[in-house]
Amino acid sequence: MSDQEEILIEAKNLKKYFPIKSGMFSSAKAHVRAVDGVDFTIKRGEVFGVVGESGCGKTTLGRLILRLIPITEGTIHYSGSNIQNMKNTELRRKMQIVFQDPGGSMNPRMSVRSIIGEPLIVNGLADGAELTKKVGELLEIVGLKSNHMTRFPHEFSGGQKQRIALARALSLDPEFILLDEPTSALDVSVQAQVLNLLQAIQKERSLTFVFIAHDLAVVRHISDRVAVMYLGKIVEMADADEIYNNPKHAYTKALISAIPKPDPSSVVDREVLSGDVPSPVNPPPGCAFGHRVNHPKYPDSIDLDLSLVEVEPNHWVQPCPCCTEI
Amino acid sequence: MSKLLDIQGLRVHFDTLDGPVEALHSVSLSVNEGEIMGVVGESGCGKSVTSLVTIGLATCDVDDGSITFDGDELIQKTPQETEKILSILKYFSSFFTLGLILSLFWTFLEPIQGLQISAVMLSAFSICFVSRRILDAPRSRHEKFMRSIRGNKISMIFQEPMTALNPLYTVEKQVAEVLRQHDKLDAAESSMGLRIGQALVYPATLLSNFVRSDMRAGLQLIGAFMFIFIVHQSGNTDTILDILTLPISLLIDVFGVLFLILDLIPSIASSSKNITYLIYVVEIIVAYSVISFIEWEFLPAVFRGDILSKTPKSLVWYLVILILLWIPFGVLMTIIGSIAILAIPPIQISGFLRLDPAHTRQVVEILNEVKIPNPESVVKMYPHELSGGMRQRVMIAMMMACEPKLLIADEPTTALDVTIQAQILKLMKDLRDREGTAIMMITHDLGVIAETCDTVTVMYAGRVVETASVTELFANPKHAYTRGLIACTPSLSSERKSILPAIPGQVANPSDFVEGCRFCQRMERTGETLLKIPDYKEISPGHWVEMCPICLDENEDRWE
Repeated sequence: MSDQEEILIEAKNLKKYFPIKSGMFSSAKAHVRAVDGVDFTIKRGEVFGVVGESGCGKTTLGRLILRLIPITEGTIHYSGSNIQNMKNTELRRKMQIVFQDPGGSMNPRMSVRSIIGEPLIVNGLADGAELTKKVGELLEIVGLKSNHMTRFPHEFSGGQKQRIALARALSLDPEFILLDEPTSALDVSVQAQVLNLLQAIQKERSLTFVFIAHDLAVVRHISDRVAVMYLGKIVEMADADEIYNNPKHAYTKALISAIPKPDPSSVVDREVLSGDVPSPVNPPPGCAFGHRVNHPKYPDSIDLDLSLVEVEPNHWVQPCPCCTEI
Repeated sequence: MSKLLDIQGLRVHFDTLDGPVEALHSVSLSVNEGEIMGVVGESGCGKSVTSLVTIGLATCDVDDGSITFDGDELIQKTPQETEKILSILKYFSSFFTLGLILSLFWTFLEPIQGLQISAVMLSAFSICFVSRRILDAPRSRHEKFMRSIRGNKISMIFQEPMTALNPLYTVEKQVAEVLRQHDKLDAAESSMGLRIGQALVYPATLLSNFVRSDMRAGLQLIGAFMFIFIVHQSGNTDTILDILTLPISLLIDVFGVLFLILDLIPSIASSSKNITYLIYVVEIIVAYSVISFIEWEFLPAVFRGDILSKTPKSLVWYLVILILLWIPFGVLMTIIGSIAILAIPPIQISGFLRLDPAHTRQVVEILNEVKIPNPESVVKMYPHELSGGMRQRVMIAMMMACEPKLLIADEPTTALDVTIQAQILKLMKDLRDREGTAIMMITHDLGVIAETCDTVTVMYAGRVVETASVTELFANPKHAYTRGLIACTPSLSSERKSILPAIPGQVANPSDFVEGCRFCQRMERTGETLLKIPDYKEISPGHWVEMCPICLDENEDRWE
């Protein structure tokens, strides 16, 4: 249990603003506030799910954790050391990523052997016959055959490509893997195969996952803890069962009610959330979701401090008067 | 309820390099009036092909079967003999075209003989052309009929709304286009003269808007124009242009020929059987040998001036040959290109002419029906300015503009978030309730099916394996594939972190399909079921299943 409690990643007041420029030399006119003040901790060996609609900053958050894009403000600590001060080789060996589009994240001119083997060659871990052996092992771990390594990405189906991407991420034996919508582009049956594989690998190697998706049922299935993001902020964060059985924030409730249930007898005329996520360029002051649904109590939230509070053990919610019942 | 769309025993194949591949193998399904029918299955099961064949947009050949829509047959079969004659005529007419060009060339050497040959070639070509038109008449009539149905009585919503909408046109234009095509636009109210005036002022408005919105970029643009103007006025353009263009044109010339030769080699290698390729190769070889002959023999002579000084007639000859041969093979392309570029402004202006306040109001009304907020400003927007859900709404508005009887939705919500998906599904259900439009909903998400549909058809590997009403299918799934699809979807009530009962493997490649039960093929079973096509039977009212004994056995695949 002590192993479970060790904090692997800790983010404090994390912000990422993308400047909007009108010309080559002009200064920024405005900023897209993709991630706007986010605090969270991820324990070693847990699966941390991040859900939200498109445009709410899920992917940007993931890229910030991996230092793929520079941080505007705030800090991220990886097992105690600030990732800004870590060496690139050290960071990439410990943290890996699986992208959403399996076809787009692989060079179509490279064979599977060189796709999976590239991290090993770059880090000087294997070469020649040893590399072939290692790539074969990795392919067998993800449920493919070792003779697949001479093929090229276009010869595989979407699910198999995602398995190759996972093998590439596993090649350096990392401690942490970021999964950015790994099953969004897949069919349900293939999605089930990939999810089973991810769970098995996570358990076997006691990896830490951040699982980003917009399908709440999938996130609930695989995650230990779930954070719900809305317009660059985390609005609710709790254990997976807790957040689905006892949602506190109105946005979480809306997301859960929007999941189509594969059971025709339970179909009720539910309330459908109207409108889209507002532009993160000029986010409304106060509670952004209260603004979207035009809540009568929304004006009360404008001047409040909306940082997360712990309402129950391990259940953090944005304390706004309009969307949260505490 | 009567059947609106009835597909019976549809069998289609795609012609590929490895021979014909059967994509659909006797698909039978029907959509009743005012019903939402779901088609579910994995990618590669033939869901989209079925819908594309229905609407007449598929590039495959229909071997067998019929599609009846509202009493009309949508599949038109051309007899094999006619197809054969048509393809032979096609080869002949391309042969006579080539002969005509060569005989015109011959005319300059032997005027009378050449003219005779070209007359023969021309008449032969015309006979081919006319007979092709006559033989093809039923098909073109059917095409016309399909055009009047498509978008009017049957319309289709595609999966990715960004690729289905034209990024160059405003929402207003795209929605109005459907209405114009089917003569459903309201009468225009402003006078023609006024609209011509508006169209003429339009480019200036665009420019002034651009300058006003971004002052610096606007000034840069004006500066560039001024520079070009001053250079022209001072007479420096010719020298500048010469320096710029001479080496480049030389490079293009040399590399153009090189690339053409390189391009030819693989096509020669693979064309030994195909006559069209052969004709193409002969054409190019003849053309290039003539061109190089001109370049190496005639051009130096022209430049030396001896042809010019001796007979001016030879210069005329040279020019005629040059025009005759260079225009077909090179310059013609340039001319077509330049005409296309020159044609853009008139097309743009005529497009502008067609818009009228009355039409705009009509489009706004249609957008209002699909609950787009603030439709007056949305009609002036381009697709990239809209979010994914809004684009899909515009797409639905476009498809509902003519009030079709059947709407085919090909994975309408797969690319969208859950909240937006819920909005779109509710919208489609409302449309059905209000207008009585039947909807064929293609998806791989059983949650969507359970939420919206009345009946469900499960497809696997180009065949229908199960059809039932939605309550019956979820309560009492018979086929192993249906049970597997239902079991493998993660739901909020399932146990967290449990192993999901995934269906192993994937849909086989269509070229490897067995004749018998294809799901048994995927489960790597052996035996008789792989050899014989299983019967498709009604086991209880409205519940049809493919009767493969192993797949129906609930103890065989338990999905746990």
